[in-house]
Amino acid sequence: MYADYAYLIVALPVLAFLLCLFVGWHLPRGGGFLTVLATFAGLILSLGIFSEIYPDKIIHQSMPWFANFNVGILIDPLALVMLLMVTFVVTLIHIYANGYMNGDPGAARYFAEAALFTASMLGLIFADNLLQLFIFWELVGLCSYLLIGFWYRKPSAAAAAKKAFLTTRVGDVLFLAGIILLYNNLANLNLALKPGEYLLQFPVIYANLAQIAPDQLTLIALGLLGGAVGKSGQFPLHVWLPDAMEGPTTVSAMIHAATMVTAGVYLVARMFPLFYAAPHGLTVVAAVGAFTALFAATMGLTSFDIKRVLAFSTVSQLGFMMAGLGVGAAVGTLAVGVSIFHLIGHSFFKALLFLCAGSVIHAVNTNDMREMGGVGKYMRWTMYTMLIGSLSLAGFPLFTGYFSKDEIILIAYEYGTLINFLPYIFLVLAAVLTAIYTFRMWFSVFTGKERSDYGKHESPWVMLGPLVILAVFALGFGYVAQDDFYSYLDSNFGHYDLDFVELGVIGGHALEGHVAPAAEGEQGAAAAEGAAGEGEAGAEEGPGEPWYIQILPIIVAIGGILTAAFFYWDKVKKFDPSQVTGDKDPIRKLLLKGYYQHEIMTGWFAETVVYGTALICNTIDIKLVDGWLNWLSALVLGFAQHVRKVQTGIVQNYVTALVLGVVVLVVVITLAKEVGLV
Amino acid sequence: MIPLELYILLASTMFTIGLYGLFTQKNGVKLMMCIELLLNSANINLVAFSAYQPNVNGQVFALFSIALAAAEAGVGFAILIALYRLYGTIDLDNINAMRW
Repeated sequence: MYADYAYLIVALPVLAFLLCLFVGWHLPRGGGFLTVLATFAGLILSLGIFSEIYPDKIIHQSMPWFANFNVGILIDPLALVMLLMVTFVVTLIHIYANGYMNGDPGAARYFAEAALFTASMLGLIFADNLLQLFIFWELVGLCSYLLIGFWYRKPSAAAAAKKAFLTTRVGDVLFLAGIILLYNNLANLNLALKPGEYLLQFPVIYANLAQIAPDQLTLIALGLLGGAVGKSGQFPLHVWLPDAMEGPTTVSAMIHAATMVTAGVYLVARMFPLFYAAPHGLTVVAAVGAFTALFAATMGLTSFDIKRVLAFSTVSQLGFMMAGLGVGAAVGTLAVGVSIFHLIGHSFFKALLFLCAGSVIHAVNTNDMREMGGVGKYMRWTMYTMLIGSLSLAGFPLFTGYFSKDEIILIAYEYGTLINFLPYIFLVLAAVLTAIYTFRMWFSVFTGKERSDYGKHESPWVMLGPLVILAVFALGFGYVAQDDFYSYLDSNFGHYDLDFVELGVIGGHALEGHVAPAAEGEQGAAAAEGAAGEGEAGAEEGPGEPWYIQILPIIVAIGGILTAAFFYWDKVKKFDPSQVTGDKDPIRKLLLKGYYQHEIMTGWFAETVVYGTALICNTIDIKLVDGWLNWLSALVLGFAQHVRKVQTGIVQNYVTALVLGVVVLVVVITLAKEVGLV
Repeated sequence: MIPLELYILLASTMFTIGLYGLFTQKNGVKLMMCIELLLNSANINLVAFSAYQPNVNGQVFALFSIALAAAEAGVGFAILIALYRLYGTIDLDNINAMRW
């Protein structure tokens, strides 16, 4: 019954968008309650659908659109958990925004754009074909542009919005190229499609992957990965994410936790069979993810802006998710479960951290951690909820992040024993740094002495309420959901007509032992349960994992937290950071400058290469293209200068011309009749 | 009955006089008169042919044509008056603002 109304999950936020846009300024608080209600209705519908189809059904509705394309809704386990997460987290963020944006003159515009943002993300999740996904993907990009540049009168916000839009555009072009390539390859197969089947539908893609040439598969996978890299802020297209902090904090929370950056990871998970079948496809994913995880974590160490620390942490955690998918080369579809589990868990604690940071910023009125200190004395609730979020992010035992992130590290170890240890080493190092920078932030904001004179008050309950709810999830979600989650997502691809063993042979992974469970999942719930059992066995009690590998993530997390405490917690402080690394220290400077990416990308690349090329193009444009046209128009003008003399202004001349014309016509026609032409 | 040729002769004579006037005269009012001559020579033709070929269509058209000529004269003289107010003359050689 709920499934029939699945389209409302997107339609209601769109309605809220229209209402807020056109009549929002007549409503109290810019009509923010409409956005909350629409998203909340989506949450209720998603829960209803969950109760209907869990654990072994999927929903697939589709109708023709134009030519070879359709619009449709596909809710399988992967889409379902994403739907639940997005509607839940975004509802809380919208509630919080009602407090946070209160009094802003653009509140109606904010809630309209936020509603459209939500609608686009939800549409992206349950699209049943790549084209529809791409359209919503672009809408998400547009909304992020609008929201990051929400305070568009501030030049830095306008610049950040442009940067986000253009950077993700680079990835989107690759994504589109990948889609076109995939469509071409599928069209060339001359498939006999049943009625209601379309080329770009996911089930059709899955079913026919094995027939596409492997080198084409690699190209397509790289194109799609390009899109994911742009959207999910992976190296080298991560530069927009830290700057995206220019928008309101609620926007940062939405972009970083629930709606935007997860789209890239979702895309790779959605197209996992393709990446699996493409030779080297997952290797590239793992390399990009692992490198980004470490790279961003190092930059998080030195930043002074509380939101930038969180932004680098998002980039780093997205790297973890990508790497988690990438090591699927070794562990099969289990990787999807592990990676999406981290995505969901991350969205809880990252939304929590951002909203806490927003609460602090709301009170203190600065983003700079050097001006905070001792905030915990005045903001008890914010302090403890943020502590939960931080422990979760750092991977402290029994918090959500511990279950999800450490699982990724463990399967990376398995990948290491079979293929390559590099991703594992990168991820472990990144995990150490994660714990350090998280608690560096927490200690320097909430403990110690007040380093400046700031507003000393707790935030209102409309803001604290969502914090508490999110904190509960950041605390308990991992522990409660862990067991069922992997098995449920592992069964995802069992609903489709595809054989991972066959795909694995194409992709060069001859590891049937890890792959078989997912393929068996086709037989339904019972088989899926069985698959779950084996999948867990592979991940947790795998024979290739000695005890020290299993407890290493715990040691890493606690070690990182202690390190941060020794440097930044005044009660146990043993070292002053400035004694270890002075301002002149080259490594510190390198990190603080963000590896000189700005200097390289803007200073060197943009100003030398791009500007130089533009200059040459400009010259060609003016001299050649414009020059030719200008010459032509000058010719016409010169000719007209002579011809215009005919216009004498003397009536007799006109009359003469008229009569002569008539005479000539008469003569010509008469002659023509004589000759017999007419 | 007067032969048709004479009517045609009259009409073409009037037409030629009108045309000659159009070529040679500079005075705006005279030009208007010449145009009336042209129009009425055509009317004579219409009426004459209509009488010789029993059919009233020609005469009806002549009536239309006269009404049209009246309207045209009205507009024409209005323009001439406006021109006179602007330039103080209706000698068309002096009125050449619309040239290149």
